[in-house]
Amino acid sequence: MTTNSELTTPKGRTIGRGINWKLFMQDNLTGSWMQTITVLFLALVTGFFAYGRYEALPIATLVVLGAWVLGIVAVVIGELFHKHTSLSRWLKENLLNSFSNSLLTLFIALVLVSAINGIWQWGYVNANFNPAETTPEFRSDNGATWGVLWGARKLLMTGWLEPVHSWRVWLSLGFILTMWALTYVTSRPALKEKLRTVRKVLNGFWLLSPVVLYIFFAGVPAGEYNIRGIIIGVCVLVAIYALLWSQKVIPFNWSSIVTTAFAWPLLYTIWWFIGNSGQFSPIDPDKWGGLMLTLIIASSVIVLAFPLGMVLALARRSEVFGIPAWLIWPVAVATTLWGFTTTPELLATSRNLVEQIMSFWPLLILAIAYMIHQVFNGNIVAGAGTTFIELIRSVPLITLLFMGIVMAPFFSGEGVSIPKPWLVIVGYTLFSSAYMAEAIRGGLQAIPKGQYEASDALGFNGSQKMRFIILPQALRIVIPAIVGQFIGAFKSSSLVSIVGLFDFLGINRSIVSNPDWLGLRLELYVFMAVIYFTGSSVMSAYSRKLEAQLGLGDR
Amino acid sequence: MEFEGPAQSFVDEIIIAENVHKWFGEFEALRGVSLRVKPGEVIVILGPSGSGKSTFIRCLNRLEEHQEGRIIMDGIELSHDIRNIQEVRREVGMVFQQFNLFPHLTVLDNITLAPINVRKWTRDHAEEIAMKWLTRVGIPEQAGKYPGQLSGGQQQRVAIARTLSMQPKILLFDEPTSALDPEMIKEVLDVMRDLAKSGYTILAVTHEMGFAREVADRIIFMDAGKIVEVNTPEEFYNNPKEERTKLFLNQILQH
Repeated sequence: MTTNSELTTPKGRTIGRGINWKLFMQDNLTGSWMQTITVLFLALVTGFFAYGRYEALPIATLVVLGAWVLGIVAVVIGELFHKHTSLSRWLKENLLNSFSNSLLTLFIALVLVSAINGIWQWGYVNANFNPAETTPEFRSDNGATWGVLWGARKLLMTGWLEPVHSWRVWLSLGFILTMWALTYVTSRPALKEKLRTVRKVLNGFWLLSPVVLYIFFAGVPAGEYNIRGIIIGVCVLVAIYALLWSQKVIPFNWSSIVTTAFAWPLLYTIWWFIGNSGQFSPIDPDKWGGLMLTLIIASSVIVLAFPLGMVLALARRSEVFGIPAWLIWPVAVATTLWGFTTTPELLATSRNLVEQIMSFWPLLILAIAYMIHQVFNGNIVAGAGTTFIELIRSVPLITLLFMGIVMAPFFSGEGVSIPKPWLVIVGYTLFSSAYMAEAIRGGLQAIPKGQYEASDALGFNGSQKMRFIILPQALRIVIPAIVGQFIGAFKSSSLVSIVGLFDFLGINRSIVSNPDWLGLRLELYVFMAVIYFTGSSVMSAYSRKLEAQLGLGDR
Repeated sequence: MEFEGPAQSFVDEIIIAENVHKWFGEFEALRGVSLRVKPGEVIVILGPSGSGKSTFIRCLNRLEEHQEGRIIMDGIELSHDIRNIQEVRREVGMVFQQFNLFPHLTVLDNITLAPINVRKWTRDHAEEIAMKWLTRVGIPEQAGKYPGQLSGGQQQRVAIARTLSMQPKILLFDEPTSALDPEMIKEVLDVMRDLAKSGYTILAVTHEMGFAREVADRIIFMDAGKIVEVNTPEEFYNNPKEERTKLFLNQILQH
């Protein structure tokens, strides 16, 4: 905006010391008709607004005006004498860099001042903080009744959980915070190398933490010691070990097979012991509520959807040797023909057009065969992955939640009722994993072909290639997208209130219908906004830190 | 700089390619390539672009799949059997035009990752070997850096060290100097020259004529998916047999 008069550029502008007032006015006011009108209009609006604010809040408005004028003086002096302080330079570059921006700065400052004043008046000056005085006769028209937050703290935090179980919530909170603190301290650069074993133990605890938290929140039922369960469990574990070993995923050694074989009896015994000690009696998950339920749903979804999404992404991109067409079609035709043997009977018993059409269900087999052969070239892994992702993504989350809640009783059989939180977690995890898979697939596609070729040429097998080379790079690329998913999972979990769960947002309905707190919505919403904002900000700050850390090896 | 040689091979002909055909869709990239290489031989493959020379050496470690003919590397035939392919890849090292270092790992981790996980060496042993090779290619002080922090020539030398740390018997070079600035080509060629002298079986696709003339035991000239001429460097440059070869040499030597 400032120019000077000793040298002239080809466009006629001068550079050097001094100010060319003509160009200065052209830049700020007289450049075009639109500019002039805009600046005059802004000046007019800001002037009237400032006058109005002066009548309402004289002192604050005068302070803002004074600061604004001082700032302009500082910038002008700095420009004229080429002596900027760091403050005046910052002001010039950010707030006062043209006529219109200076006016906008004043306008926005005034808006902020009145907004902050309003919140201050409502939230503190006129507010009533006494938890005992929340009924209408104690409320003021222009002040908050914060007492509801303390009065309804149990509902807000844990919903309908019986107060006798509160200590378990505190215990889990303590557990998580301790783990967090220990992890943070031991991963400091100074201690990282020295405490390798401690960090390994901690990682083990993190892996176990879902089970620990499950025991805290859901409890363990007492029961008979089931020998058959132990034997079956050991057999399954050893079979998995043998399978992995025969596929050369893990090497064979005696100590690891003994550990594998003993893991299940040990865990089962601990489980049984906890159950019969009566310390952690079962809690009905349907009684969970409030912030606790929100956090349980959000963290379960995050923890489950991430690996599932990874598997789905890899499945969708898999290039396994497909089922050949000569196998697909004979099998499909044979099963279709076999299926048609049921059609006459179905037709005979059908009562309406829909049922008549449905009697020809074997045609579906042909359709699926066509899909597998033509669309996916016989690659059923990619086919299944793609179908799942696209199906889930084409349905709204609410539909999945309703499906979970409403349909589950039909499938679960007589007398078995699955608690709602489990159903919601399953539905939401499926939903989230589909989106997660697409984010991760984007990362996988961003990895250059050369990385695959180099790992092949060095002799890595498929899973090593993914684990050591492709996924570490791909996941780093998609951190922003994945953290976006996490934040989404945290906030969108409030949708479960629609299907009748009383999560952090849904518990509102019960609180404001209590005679003591009738209609105190605003206070609750402000509080919830603060909590959601804090949670989301912490996550995105952590993601930025993670990106910076992992950005070390960027090309 | 003296390099330690490769592990001894117990076959007479370490690379046997018989009538290898390769199609990319309709396009026939290799039209019956046959080649037999003895252990320790250094072979340079020349040819105009699109002649199939890169495709051919990429078939030798199954980065590309050949559709007809046979390829036998160090006594193991390349077939659909994934275990054979993996076994061959352990013995055959490849250096790429674009280096293809792993950008998320330090130089040392780049080199030790495969020996630890594929050869199943201990970390200490792998790091010892890695440092030995880094010293041999002249950049031991860069071990803790990330590939992005190195120059092109240094990156390619790390890539060579990474390949050699797997202790391969055969080295494939796919235009290793084509992506480098002129002043960095020499440092990479020096390393390759020393490797050639220390007994590795080398197949190199390159445009470096001086290098080819100096170190090659045989020069292979390919065009349109076929081997046109196989000759010693002396004969190849001074007295080429085929018309196509003469034309090619004229074109590249006359600019």
